[in-house]
Amino acid sequence: MKVRKSYLLLASVTVWIVLGRLLNGTHTLQIATYENTAFTSYVGEKALDLRGNRTESTAFIYFFNPIRGVIDGFVQGIRNLISVPAPNSVIPIIGWLGVVGIVAFVVYATSQWRTALLCVSLLLACGALGMWQFTMDSIAMTLAAVLLSLAIGIPLGIWAGLSDRVLKIFTPFLDLAQILPTLVYMAPIALVFMIGAASATIATMIYSIPIAIRITSHAIRNLNQSPVEAAESMGSTPKQTLTKVKIPMAKQMIVLGINQTVMAAVSFVVIAALIGAPGLGKPVVEALIIRNVGQGFVAGLAVVFLAILLDRSTSAAAKRQSTFVPPTPKQIKTKRIILIVGGILAVVSVFMSRTMLWAAVWPKEVTIAPQVARITNNAIAWILDNLYIFTVGFKDFISYSVLNPLETQLAASPWYVTVAMIVALALIIGGTRVAILGFVLSIAIVLSGLWYEAMLTLTQTIVGCLLTMIVGLALGIWTGRNDRAERVLRPFLDAGQTLPAFVYLVPMLGLFGPTRFTAIATGIVYAIPVVVKIVSEGIRAVPHALVEAATAAGSTTRQIITKVQLPAARKTILLATNQGLIYVLAVVVIGGFVGAGGLGYLVIVGNSKPELQGKGLIAGVAILLLGVIFDRIMQAGARRSA
Amino acid sequence: MKSPFSRRSAIVTTVIAAALVLSGCGNSVNDSAGEASGDCGSYAIAMHAWVGFTASSQVVTELGEELGCTITQTTLEEGPVTYDAMEAGTIDLIIVDWGGGRWQEWSDRGAVVEAGENGNVGLIGMYVAPWMVEKYPDITDSKNLNKYATLFKTADSGGKGAWFEGPTGYTTIGEKMVSANKLNFKVIFSGSEAALVDGFIKAEENKTPFIGYAWQPWILHAKIPNLESGRVNFPAPDWTDPAQASGLTDYPATPLIKLMSKKLNDANDPFTSLIKNFKWTNADQNGVAADIDGGMSAKEAAQKWIAANTATVNSWLGK
Repeated sequence: MKVRKSYLLLASVTVWIVLGRLLNGTHTLQIATYENTAFTSYVGEKALDLRGNRTESTAFIYFFNPIRGVIDGFVQGIRNLISVPAPNSVIPIIGWLGVVGIVAFVVYATSQWRTALLCVSLLLACGALGMWQFTMDSIAMTLAAVLLSLAIGIPLGIWAGLSDRVLKIFTPFLDLAQILPTLVYMAPIALVFMIGAASATIATMIYSIPIAIRITSHAIRNLNQSPVEAAESMGSTPKQTLTKVKIPMAKQMIVLGINQTVMAAVSFVVIAALIGAPGLGKPVVEALIIRNVGQGFVAGLAVVFLAILLDRSTSAAAKRQSTFVPPTPKQIKTKRIILIVGGILAVVSVFMSRTMLWAAVWPKEVTIAPQVARITNNAIAWILDNLYIFTVGFKDFISYSVLNPLETQLAASPWYVTVAMIVALALIIGGTRVAILGFVLSIAIVLSGLWYEAMLTLTQTIVGCLLTMIVGLALGIWTGRNDRAERVLRPFLDAGQTLPAFVYLVPMLGLFGPTRFTAIATGIVYAIPVVVKIVSEGIRAVPHALVEAATAAGSTTRQIITKVQLPAARKTILLATNQGLIYVLAVVVIGGFVGAGGLGYLVIVGNSKPELQGKGLIAGVAILLLGVIFDRIMQAGARRSA
Repeated sequence: MKSPFSRRSAIVTTVIAAALVLSGCGNSVNDSAGEASGDCGSYAIAMHAWVGFTASSQVVTELGEELGCTITQTTLEEGPVTYDAMEAGTIDLIIVDWGGGRWQEWSDRGAVVEAGENGNVGLIGMYVAPWMVEKYPDITDSKNLNKYATLFKTADSGGKGAWFEGPTGYTTIGEKMVSANKLNFKVIFSGSEAALVDGFIKAEENKTPFIGYAWQPWILHAKIPNLESGRVNFPAPDWTDPAQASGLTDYPATPLIKLMSKKLNDANDPFTSLIKNFKWTNADQNGVAADIDGGMSAKEAAQKWIAANTATVNSWLGK
């Protein structure tokens, strides 16, 4: 069966290549960027009407505008608290010293002094980087988005945890929200809620609510059943079982969900600046504009610090729940005294931050930002001066050997040949249902009029995913087999996952120039950490007995990897490939900013040219469709190979 | 508050304000912050994605703050996004707009008000890297471009010359120019100003061929002083109707416009008249932009220009 499948794949690819060559350049559906199809101009007109109606239509007056007002007010309230001058004042309600005091106290109270110390140092570091107010704005935005996400996500998650039907209805939407590249839904949201804190908060929530729902429902579903059964047999009502048994038992997992929701929200901090969100994204985007890598790095560093701070403080709270060793009375007493003293200190620091200017506004003299920026700029300049030849050589090599042939194959073939090929692949890998889905969605892209651009984006995504898998597999196998390597790489992987792609788009541009490869390289950097983590876990999950048996039989390390660990981790590796593809796609579209063209460019151009707005919105949908097609094919492939 | 906000008065105000808040007098959330600072309101001004814009905005920000207005700067995308924000009341000013009338729809609704020309004249064109002009003197005539097309070939241009088109949101007719002049070039959308700057500078440093979209006023002219010599001339610059532009023609010169929100227009306070009077030259903008790009903070660069041009500034302030 397996052999036949690979022959089938090979045969269809051969047919595809031959047909593509024969019919090269015909029916490519290519249209000039400034041209609209009937469909895109229709969508553009509708968007125009929508904007014109904002002050008149009932949907806006009674629904969208109030939502915007409430969320804006909520965010503004938090900002007044810690970031911007409160009404009738020149300082926020709580100055920097007060924030530091509160953070130290709260983190100490929920976890331990070491975490508290780390969090305080990170906060002070953000201040020293000259980013205090931006950091506070980002915290305010994150806090608002997380609180709202949890308020919606946890109840829905509990519901989905209790009812199979609800979960079944939710799942496609949850999948969709996680595939959706952020760049895609910002434009429609801004169209309805206008730019500003409200739109940014809602965009963040679309990204973070699914995580809260998923983890909560998972927590409820995977409880130890015996206490639940015991409660039920003792005659508890379903409501009692839920509130007295299930939720308390699931609490730790739900706290973990809070941690993940926070991290999702933080990763949105930078891109949200594109729709006018206050916070650290502003200096990052500005650095991209003036190509000041150093300044971008300073702001990016603050984003990473903020992410670590929020991660450690929330995950420490989650871990603490799992310690079951009861503390001695003496320990309790000491902790209580420290808590009281800490509480008093926190109150004093808040009071000081409200009465003294030095404690209210971060002193400008205390800064290391210029030094950090200068060192970074020098380092980058050195790299660019000395490595440019190599990077350009590598870029050209990949472009001529992989990128151009694939682009010719995908984009310059007639559309019906490529669609047929996608359907054939879906049929062989995923089965009939996936094939039908692939056919319908591909035709939808064709009808949208953006087929050619979609194929350009697809080419870049595939090449990016290929390179990601080469690096990701190697590193994943290494860290999966070697604990030390895992420990060394872990911080880099964590940082890579929290560092927004925008931050390294600028240095990539310096290395590779305005080309498709710049977008691909950015996508690779973004996707590698997640692939490494999944592959590494997959390798670790291979039963020890298998590896030991192979070792006893005298297999070499290479044989163990290729004959035992990789085949056993096959499903995980397929999933990693899927994640890699989705991650690369999400970032490749940002490449529209640096000359990569494709659908991403259309999204960006649609934001700035009213006459192309319809085309931009449709391009966003096309990106989503591409993502869904390949996500479904790969998922089905992974399921079948299990 | 005519004098600059001194440190001592800041401390005094802070202490008083803090004391007020503490004593429970700070409840009136609806009072606007601007009221405290006299006869000038509080305004949010748009910050768009290019250095010259930062330069212009920073100068009016500095002057506005001197007048006692509360100015906040909001970074956001150009075009409809900003016009929407002006309609929503979250943005009050675009100090320089290249949009070429794209705001008409908003202006018809009264959401956006034109505040006259800002003195800059936008001049767009296709430029080759200036070193090429010395080596191939006839390259600046569009008829000769095909002769050199192979020079411009890159890994991304599909066997043709690579033609680097302008950033998103900018008026671009490259595709039309290429097809109408039957040029053997492929249009590559650079997507951002940074990409173009990068392309021109690398080309000039390494003496590699490059043709790209460029304009005046622009920071790059301060970095590559003879950039203007690289302008490629296309037939008859006549471009009265953008929609009908044949592509045989070059870009027209566009006087750049200032746009205000209805709120700022109606306020009629010192900031309104400052904005209406604001007018400076391409050289002014390029100068401040070059300082910012050279590592000076926007604030310092703006203050430097203000100090050096008191006469102009006084004429804006009606002094």
